[in-house]
Amino acid sequence: MKNNIIILGGGQAGIYAAREIRQNDTESNIKILSEENLLPYERPPLSKDFLLDKKNEDDLYFHSIEVLKNENIDFENVLINKVDFEHKKLFSKNEDVYTYDSLLISTGSDNKRLSLDNNLNDDVYYLRNLEEAKIIKEKVSDKNKITIIGGGFIGLEIASSLSQLQKKVTVIEIGNQLMGRIIPKQIADLVQNTHIEQGNEIILNKQIDKIIKKNGIYEILLNDNSIIETDFVIAGIGSTPSVKLFENTNLKLDNGIVTNQFCETSIKDVYAAGDVCNFYHPFYERNMRLESYQHAQNHGICAGKNIAGVKTEYTSIPWMWSDQFNLNLQLTGICDDYDEIIARGNDINSGVIYFFLKNKIIKGACGLGIAGKVGRDIRITSKLTEKNTIVDKQILSDQNQKLNKLIQKQ
Amino acid sequence: MSEENWIEVGSTDSIEEEDLIRFDHQDKTFCVYRLTDGFYATDGICTHEAVHLEDGLVMDDEIECPMHQGIFNIKSGEALSPPACEDLKTYPVKVDNDKIFIKID
Ligand SMILES: Cc1cc2nc3c(=O)[nH]c(=O)nc-3n(C[C@H](O)[C@H](O)[C@H](O)COP(=O)(O)OP(=O)(O)OC[C@H]3O[C@@H](n4cnc5c(N)ncnc54)[C@H](O)[C@@H]3O)c2cc1C
Ligand code: FES
Repeated sequence: MKNNIIILGGGQAGIYAAREIRQNDTESNIKILSEENLLPYERPPLSKDFLLDKKNEDDLYFHSIEVLKNENIDFENVLINKVDFEHKKLFSKNEDVYTYDSLLISTGSDNKRLSLDNNLNDDVYYLRNLEEAKIIKEKVSDKNKITIIGGGFIGLEIASSLSQLQKKVTVIEIGNQLMGRIIPKQIADLVQNTHIEQGNEIILNKQIDKIIKKNGIYEILLNDNSIIETDFVIAGIGSTPSVKLFENTNLKLDNGIVTNQFCETSIKDVYAAGDVCNFYHPFYERNMRLESYQHAQNHGICAGKNIAGVKTEYTSIPWMWSDQFNLNLQLTGICDDYDEIIARGNDINSGVIYFFLKNKIIKGACGLGIAGKVGRDIRITSKLTEKNTIVDKQILSDQNQKLNKLIQKQ
Repeated sequence: MSEENWIEVGSTDSIEEEDLIRFDHQDKTFCVYRLTDGFYATDGICTHEAVHLEDGLVMDDEIECPMHQGIFNIKSGEALSPPACEDLKTYPVKVDNDKIFIKID
């Protein structure tokens, strides 16, 4: 049957869904509606190789326009600002109307913003999209002292890149460790040491009281009355799912759009995928929201299958990475529900991994090493997790024992 | 094919099945794999970012990069999963008297 399928949000989840639908359904119309006037592109390089000029805009796109044309996928640059789920319609600012039979919402997430009580809100820069990355890159070019508010992944990646561009970088973090409590403190400390060794200043346990501008220089007042002088301020203080559009509708929201394991929302024929979802994960028997490259891709593919009528459960084990300086950090599974932690290795040159176990079964792992050193073991951990394998702790903790033997036996 | 381009990598028992070894020759790095049906060779550095594939995971006919899980087909070099999108160069391999040779152009 020929349907009108609309994908709202032309990011990573959206494009993977569109192509997956086409693989399974050659007849339906597929249209991606995107606020950004850019074909779907990869965001990870924005805070890393794009700032460092190692990748340019053309390197970021998932596919060329030819690929979309060949697969008969329409792409339209439009901001949707109203939805009518009852009549299956979306409206743009100019009152253009888009009618769907099936809708995928893949609107991603928005950066949380500081709320300063003077008129300096526009002086603080954020990074979520290519436009913002270009602005930051251009603006910092003639600045020296840069302050980053927030010691999460994106803030630290920007700190790493700007340090490599010879900037004097200060990171201010409200918590008592970098990257939040989900990362083992030992690993957060190793990352922190690397930043410090490379010349970045890391300030923990401090809040911003105020930002003042004097002769083009900013003074950031912290809650212990100390003052940081800086030429440029960037904030990376977390993100929220992009659901503003749906707040006054009957779409079920709870830290994102609530979906089941088939990417179905509370409204018939409306699906959601990627950062915007608080999805049910049957393996962990709970809902979760993830902001990661691998999740956006796999969740998009899964939504695409379900929209095309191929009923598919989403069972992907979570995985994400962050690259800072020459370090590669990886997280798999869930690291917040455990009764035991086992460490493997203690040197970033050969990699350090913490495994999180519950009832002897690995639930998740977090690893850090010089580029490439933890990936294989983290990947094997995902596989062991998926299979609920009970692994000898001796093997896990001994870096001389190869973990790939454990999966080959399965 | 001139004989001198075949470079000796090592003995066949230096690689376990479904595994790989890194082989450096002059200023280049290669990966040599032992799969269930024989030996294969590719460039040793991921096409996405400069990371050694020796630390990657071999699964069936595929090598997965340890950095961002880009996947390549070992036999054809084809990039199968993003963020890897550029194919990996492959090289002919022969085994002679339990020794592995790869042909470098
Ligand atoms: C700077 C940065 C670095 C990152 N680095 C990493 C990393 O190293 N590793 C990792 O695993 N993950 C990383 N991520 C996370 C990863 O990129 C995201 O999880 C992924 O992009 C989410 O995909 P998505 O399709 O859900 O949303 P997005 O890719 O954000 O796409 C959503 C799209 O929807 C559009 N949209 C929203 N509302 C509307 C509307 N009303 N009308 C029309 N269009 C709309 C948005 O403009 C956007 O283009 C990073 C993210 C950022 C921002
Ligand atoms: S470096 Fe290999 S996938 Fe990124």
